[in-house]
Amino acid sequence: MKNKIQHSSIVTRWFSGVISNKKALAGSCIILFFVFIAIIGPFLIQSPTEFLGTPLSPPSNKYLFGTNGQGQDVFSQTISGARQTLFVGFSAGILVVLIGALIGGIAGYYGGRTDDLLSLIINIFLVMPGLPLMVILASWLPPGPGTLLGVLVLTGWAWNARVIRSQMMTFRNRDFVSAAIVSGEKNIRIIIIEIMPRMLSLLASMFIGSSIYAIGAQVGLEFLGLGDISRVTWGTNLYWASNDLALLTESWWTFVPTGLSIAVVSFSLTLINFGIDEVTNPRLVSERLWREKIPKKNISNGITPVLKSHE
Amino acid sequence: MTRKNLYQTLIFGLFIFCSCEEKTTRDREGLIIYQEQFLSWVRNFEPLNPASVPRWPTRGGIYEPLYIYNPIKAEWLPWLATKYEWRENNKKLLFTIREGVQWSDGKPFDAHDVAYTFNLTKKFPALDTRNSWEYLKSVVAVSNTILEVTFNRVYVPGFDAVAGTYIVPKHIWESLKDPLKFSNPNPVGTGPYTEVLRFDSQIWELGKNNNYWQPEKPYVDKLIFPAFSSNEQVTLALLSGELDWSGAFIPAIDRIFVAKDPKHHRYWFPNTGYSTFLHTNTKDPVLSDVRVRKAISYAIDRSQVVKVGMYNYTKPAHVTSLSGPMAKWHSPDITSKEDWTSYNLQKASKLLDDAGYILNNKGQRLKKDGSLLELDIIVVSGWSDWIRSAQVVSQNLNKAGIKAKVRTYDFGAWIGRMQRGDFEMSIGWAEKGATPYNFFKGMMFSEYVKPIGEVADVNWHRFGSEKADLLIKTLEKTSDKKIIKNIINDLQHLFIEHAPGIPLFAEPAWGECNTKYFKNFPSKENPYGPLSNNEQPSFIFTLLNVQKR
Amino acid sequence: MSKSISYLIRRLGFYLVAAFAALTLNFIIPRMMPGDPASIIFARFRGKLKPEAIEAMRQSFGLTNDPLLVQYWSYLKGILGGNLGTSIAYFPEPVSNIISSGLFWTIFLAGFSLIVAFSIGTLLGIFIAWNRTGKLDTLLPPTLAFLGAFPYFWLAMLSLYIFGFSLNWFPLSHAYGNQVSPGLNLSFILSVIYHAILPAFTMIFVSLGGWMLSMRNTMISTLGADYITFANAKGISSRHIMLRYAARNAILPNLTGFGMALGFILSGALLTEIIFSYPGQGYLLLQAVKSQDFPLMQGIFMTITFAVLAANWLVDIAILIFDPRTRK
Repeated sequence: MKNKIQHSSIVTRWFSGVISNKKALAGSCIILFFVFIAIIGPFLIQSPTEFLGTPLSPPSNKYLFGTNGQGQDVFSQTISGARQTLFVGFSAGILVVLIGALIGGIAGYYGGRTDDLLSLIINIFLVMPGLPLMVILASWLPPGPGTLLGVLVLTGWAWNARVIRSQMMTFRNRDFVSAAIVSGEKNIRIIIIEIMPRMLSLLASMFIGSSIYAIGAQVGLEFLGLGDISRVTWGTNLYWASNDLALLTESWWTFVPTGLSIAVVSFSLTLINFGIDEVTNPRLVSERLWREKIPKKNISNGITPVLKSHE
Repeated sequence: MTRKNLYQTLIFGLFIFCSCEEKTTRDREGLIIYQEQFLSWVRNFEPLNPASVPRWPTRGGIYEPLYIYNPIKAEWLPWLATKYEWRENNKKLLFTIREGVQWSDGKPFDAHDVAYTFNLTKKFPALDTRNSWEYLKSVVAVSNTILEVTFNRVYVPGFDAVAGTYIVPKHIWESLKDPLKFSNPNPVGTGPYTEVLRFDSQIWELGKNNNYWQPEKPYVDKLIFPAFSSNEQVTLALLSGELDWSGAFIPAIDRIFVAKDPKHHRYWFPNTGYSTFLHTNTKDPVLSDVRVRKAISYAIDRSQVVKVGMYNYTKPAHVTSLSGPMAKWHSPDITSKEDWTSYNLQKASKLLDDAGYILNNKGQRLKKDGSLLELDIIVVSGWSDWIRSAQVVSQNLNKAGIKAKVRTYDFGAWIGRMQRGDFEMSIGWAEKGATPYNFFKGMMFSEYVKPIGEVADVNWHRFGSEKADLLIKTLEKTSDKKIIKNIINDLQHLFIEHAPGIPLFAEPAWGECNTKYFKNFPSKENPYGPLSNNEQPSFIFTLLNVQKR
Repeated sequence: MSKSISYLIRRLGFYLVAAFAALTLNFIIPRMMPGDPASIIFARFRGKLKPEAIEAMRQSFGLTNDPLLVQYWSYLKGILGGNLGTSIAYFPEPVSNIISSGLFWTIFLAGFSLIVAFSIGTLLGIFIAWNRTGKLDTLLPPTLAFLGAFPYFWLAMLSLYIFGFSLNWFPLSHAYGNQVSPGLNLSFILSVIYHAILPAFTMIFVSLGGWMLSMRNTMISTLGADYITFANAKGISSRHIMLRYAARNAILPNLTGFGMALGFILSGALLTEIIFSYPGQGYLLLQAVKSQDFPLMQGIFMTITFAVLAANWLVDIAILIFDPRTRK
C-alpha cells in the first residue's frame, strides 16, 4: 500500500514539476498545436493532391502558400504532410524506448549470462552504421510508412537499450530494491512498479530525443526518394520541391513552409527536453533553488552548489 | 591581439586567392557535355559487353557501325559500309565496306575487322548483345571490301542488328585473354573522337581522332566531361555557362533555362515517334475485356497528363501510338478508325455499362459481385515524371468511377513484377525500331506470351493475336517496301481493334544546348539530327557538325 | 596492468564477433532484395536491347545458382583475401578500386568537419557551463538547437543556393576545380580547400549545437564535485579550475562520443556529398543501392562497419590511457 502511494506521487510530482517549467510548457504547447493540425487539419482544407492551379505560382489570396511544381496547393500539402511524418516519428520514438527499456532493463536487472547475451546483441546493433543500413533497407522494402517505421526502429533501439541498461544497473543496487526483494515482491513487479517510475525523466527525454531523430531521419530518407513518393508527407514535399528545382526557379514557398514546420517541431521537442533536464538534473535543480533563495548572488565562478533537494 | 589580426588577414587573403583561382575562364577549346550521371568516373571504353557501362560516346562516337539510323529523318545512312544488297531470296546480305578508313592508331580498317567482330560475338555469346546469332549462319569477309552475311532462316528485320553492330579492331581484340573482363582503357576506334587526353575521377577529356575518315571533321578539338551527381547540378551548370550540351529532364525549362539567356539557351524535345504507355495486363480478369481497356483510355485526360506530368513538353499520343517521324507509317484510312485516345467520358461510361459494371449512387463502378472496381497502377519510384503522370491518370479514372491507386516500387522490384505479369496496370515503354515492326511484335506476338508467373522479357501485358502472328511472320520474310507498308497498315488496324495497351503521350527526346561558345547544334529550324545525346548512335550527327564560335 | 590488457583483448574479441555478424548480415541482405542485377541492366536499355541477351549477361556477372552456403563460403574467402568482387554498375571495375576513390574524400571532408565541430563545440560548452548566468548561456543553446532542428539537407541546399549560386562566393560542386590536376601542388591543395569550405561549414554548423550541449552537461555535473569546491577554496584562479580541473574530466564521456562519431564518418556525409556533388563514399552507396549493385553495396557497408569497429576499439584504448579510473 505504502509503495503505491509513493510511486504515484513520484509520477504526479514529476509531471507537475515539468509542466511548471517554462521551456517545457512552451515546447509542449507547440507540439500539441501541430498534433492537432495533423489530426484535424486534413478535414478542413482542400485536397493536397488535386492539380488545381498554375504550377509554381507564389503565395496569394487563393493559395496561401502558393502552388508547387504540379500546381498543387502548398498550404494543403504542408498541413496534410504533418500527419504521417508526426505519426511515424512519434511511433518510432515510443517503440525504440519500449524495446530499449525491455531489453536494456532485463539485461541490467538480471545481470549474469542474460546480461552477457543481451549486451552482445545490443552492442552489435550499436556498431552497425545506421544511415547506410537505413538506405539499403529502405530501398529494398516496399516504400511506405511501415518500412520507414521498421527501419527507424531497427537502427535506433540499441542506443536506448544501452542507456537504460546502465541506469537499471545503478538502481538494482539501491536499498529500496533490496527491500522489495526481501519482502518477496516478484521481479517483474519490481521492475515495472518500483524502478521504472524513477526512470521517468530518462525515459521521457529518450522518447523525445528518439522522436526528434526519427522525424529527421525519416525526412532525410524521403528526401532521397526512398519513401513512397506518391504520398503527401513533409519529406516527400521536400523531395518534389527539390525535383522541381525549387531553388533554381526561386520558388522558396515550395520548401520553406515544410522546412520551417520540421524545424519548429524538432525545436519544441528540444525545448521540452531542456525543461525536463532543468527540472530533474539535481545539479541544475539545486542551483535553481539556490538562486531563488539568494537572488543576486554572484555565481560567476560557475561552480555548481550541491543542495539536497526533496526526494 | 595582433596575432589574431594576422591570422584573420592570412585567412582572408587565402580566400581571395582561392576564389580568384577558380574564376579563370572555362576551357573554350572543348565542348562540355553531360550525358551520364556519375559522381566519379571509371575508365571503361568497352563497346561490346552489355554488362559493361562504357563512357559515352564509346558506342557510336569511338566505335562506329555499318549503317546509322537517323530518327529525326527516319532514314538509314551508310557509314562504315557504303551499300547493301539482299540476295538469294533474302537469305544472304552483302555489304560493301567503305574504303580508305583507318583506325585511330593508323592501321587500315577493312571487312576483316567486321567479320572478326561478328565471329567474336559468336565465340562469346555473352557479347552478343542483340542475339544476332539466333538467325545468322555465318559472316565472312569475301574480300577487303565485301562482307557476306548468311542467315540460317529468312529474317529481314535482322538488318537492324547487323548494320548496327559496333566494329572493333581485330588487331587489338585478338590478343586479349578474356574479352569479357576487358575494360579497354586506351580505345582504338574508327570514330571521330578516340584519344583520351585526361582521365580523373571528377573530369575526363576525349580528343579528336586525327585519322578520321570524314575529311575536316570533327571541327571541335575535344570533348570535356565533368561529373554531375544530380539534375540540379546539371541545371546549375547549364545556367552558368559551364555546360554546352546535355540530355537531361529539366522542369519548367522556359522559365529556368531559356529566360536567363534567350539568345543562347536553347532546347529541343522532338518526338521519337513512339509513345509512353499505360500497360494493361490482358490476363487480368477485369482487363481482359477490351471494352474495359478502351473505357480506361477514353477516361484519361491526356492533355492534363501532359501538362502536369510532363510540363507540356510533349503531346497526347495517337491511337496507334505512332507519331512524329513515325507518322508516315499511318495507314491511309486511319482517320476513319475508332480513336479511343480522345478524352470522352460518355463513351467510357457506355463501354463500362456494356461490360456489365454497375454505377452506384456515389459515382463508383461496381463489379457483378458488388465489390468496387479497383485497379492499381505501378510505377518505378524515382522516375518522377512518370509518377506525376500516373497520379493524374489515377485521378482521371477515379472521376470515371474506377478506383485507381498509384503504387511505386524500386526498379528491381518493378521490373520483376512486369516480367512475371504480377501487375494490373503500369506506366512503361514499348519496343522501338527503325520501323514499327518491333513495336507491333512486342505488342501482339503470341509466341512472346508467357503465362503469369513465368518471366517474360517482352510483351509483359501478355497479349497475343493469331492474325498479328501471321502478319509479322510474313513481314520478316520480305524486303519489298510495298508489302511491308501494307502489313504495317493491317497491324495498326489490329492494334486499334484490340487495344492491347494504352498509349499515353508521345515520347520526347531531351536535349538542351548553349550556343554561346559553340554553334550549329540541331534544332527545330535545323533538324539534321537529334539534339538529344541520349539517342545512340545518332548523337554522332551533332558531334560532326558542331563548331566553335 | 594485465587486467587492462585482458580487458582490451575481451573488447577485441567482441569486435571480431560483431564484424562477423556484420559480414553475415551483409551477405544476406542483398540476396533478399527482389530483382536480379541482370534484369535491371537489361531494362536499363529501355527496350533497345534484345531480350534474349539476359542469360548472356548473367554469365558475365558470375551470378550462379549455387546453394546459399557455397556462395557464403566463397564470399567469406573473398573478403578475407581482400577481394571484394567486381562491381555491377561500373563493370568490370573491381569494387576495391571504386571504394578507394571515394574513401579519401569522405574521410577528408567528414573528418575535418568532425574535428572542427568537436573542438569549437567543446570549447563553447566549457565556456558557457562556466558562465551559466551570462547572456551567452541563455542565447546560444536555444539558437544552436533551433538551427540544428532544421533538416540538414534543407540548410545545405539553402547555403549552396545563397553562397554558391546567388552570391557566387563558393563553387557549386566537386572536390576540386576542373582546371587543376590532382597532385601535391599548391594550386590543387588550395582548390581542394576552397571547394571544401561550404560543405564543411554546413556540416559543422548543424552538429555544433550537439557537441556544445553535451559538453555543457558533463561540465555541469563535474563542477559539482568536491574537489572543484576545494580548489576554489584554495584560491586557484577560475580559468585554471575551468580548464585544468573541470574540463579535463568532463571531456571524457564526450571523447567516447567523438570516437563513435569518428567511426561513423564514412556514412555521415551522405547527404552533404549528394547536395554538393562531393565525390565520396556516401554518394557511391546511394548509387550502388539504386542500381542494385550487390558487390559494391557490400563493399561499402563492410568498410564502414570495419571503420566503426576500429574506431571504437581505439577509443577503448584511449580511455584506458587517459582515465585512470578505468584502470582500477
